[in-house]
Amino acid sequence: MSGSDRVLVVRNLTKKFGEKPVLRGVSFDVERGETKVIIGPSGAGKSTLLRCINRLIEPDSGEIIFNGENILERGVDIRKVRARIGFVFQHFNLFKHLTALENVKIGLKVVKGLSDEEAEEKAYKALKMVHLEEDAFHKYPAQLSGGQQQRVAIARALAMEPEIVLFDEPTSALDPQLAGEVLDVMRELAKKKVTMLVVTHEIGFALNAADEVLFFYDGVIWERGTPKDILYNPKRDETREFLKRIADLSVFGGE
Amino acid sequence: MAVTATTVPLDVALRMLLNGTKMTITLSLLSIGLGFLIGLPVALMETYGNKALKYAAMVYEGTIRGIPLLAIYFIIFFSMPILIGFGLSPFWAAVVGLGIRSSAYQSQIFRSGIQAVDEGQIEAGLSLGMSKLQVIRHIVLPQALRFSIPAWMNEYVIVLKDTSIALAIGIVELTREATYLVSVTAEPFRYYGLAALFYLVMVLPLTYLANYMGRKYGIKGTGGASNVRL
Repeated sequence: MSGSDRVLVVRNLTKKFGEKPVLRGVSFDVERGETKVIIGPSGAGKSTLLRCINRLIEPDSGEIIFNGENILERGVDIRKVRARIGFVFQHFNLFKHLTALENVKIGLKVVKGLSDEEAEEKAYKALKMVHLEEDAFHKYPAQLSGGQQQRVAIARALAMEPEIVLFDEPTSALDPQLAGEVLDVMRELAKKKVTMLVVTHEIGFALNAADEVLFFYDGVIWERGTPKDILYNPKRDETREFLKRIADLSVFGGE
Repeated sequence: MAVTATTVPLDVALRMLLNGTKMTITLSLLSIGLGFLIGLPVALMETYGNKALKYAAMVYEGTIRGIPLLAIYFIIFFSMPILIGFGLSPFWAAVVGLGIRSSAYQSQIFRSGIQAVDEGQIEAGLSLGMSKLQVIRHIVLPQALRFSIPAWMNEYVIVLKDTSIALAIGIVELTREATYLVSVTAEPFRYYGLAALFYLVMVLPLTYLANYMGRKYGIKGTGGASNVRL
């Protein structure tokens, strides 16, 4: 380990949908313990980028080096890789036929082969970590609020003890109050040095939790820097334009 | 041309109809079972298979659904011995014919159940590191089968009623027993009416069963599977 311990290295990643290039050579690193936030206009390919990292979508070319191994190479068991990369979705994607607790347990049992008891113990810990109310443990997703559902989804990802957690606009489907409880959990995780790569429009979160902010635009990382640099003093017109459009005093003002 | 009609004591008539009912129930259970064993894999092939499997499943479904049940019976019972040198007994021909016919409809039912499980849950399963098969087994099927309960119960009612067509290949089931009684007594209204009542008595509880199963096995907090139409 030479100075930096990089969990994830993305190099020149490209992806086209038909004729339309969505990723045009994306490169960035994520270091262990770091919280990296990606912002950028909707529909620009941020979700595609995250899905390429665990190969839910196959990129066309480039390198994704996860813990020193290029996971785009032949012969890589992508299931083993995915088990070590957490993924939190915009629409939670909880398993609707399972209770909150079972949602967290199932990966531990089916993928990691833990016994029911071990899985239950870890699931409890994970659900406590996201501050899920005890009476919600045995409820089904449709009986939970959006904020509770997303916190269960975060617990489901954390329980697998991943080396990085990818968040795909985790609060976009929530109203502000419920978004707040999810963002609080994410801030705690950032403080605990959980490695996170977060696509979000929550400028407030980027400002006080991110180690670095990437502005994704036109299929590439257009500009990058500390949250203050990017959010208060963007160097490029497109970044400024984007921030102006989503700028909202209530978001900027509040901690 | 005098028709000589005899009367049949009610208890004898009822015993005959009950015998027929037993056959009807046996046939329907074996047929729906066979239809399930074929229909579910066909549905999975059609949803998750490669192009060839999808196409094969589609052709199977389309072909079977395009042929009247009576023709399926005749093909299996009368043509098979000529075509491949051995035939099935009327009983097994009836089970296979009705089972195959039902499989084509069941595969449709399960396919829409499978498609009702949203893509996001599949992504979530894969992201945890599950294999495709594990996702199907642990995520998709438990939900798809529950979504399918109302339509599947409905299909069972159809199968139960369509066992009557098996009389054409010599099966003595409920309708056939009634036909015996009518041919002896010349009282069609009474005995076909009784047979109809027997069918109703079997079918009506199934509606309640379907509602009960919908409540018991439906996914909590969602509308659940509850309504079945006869």
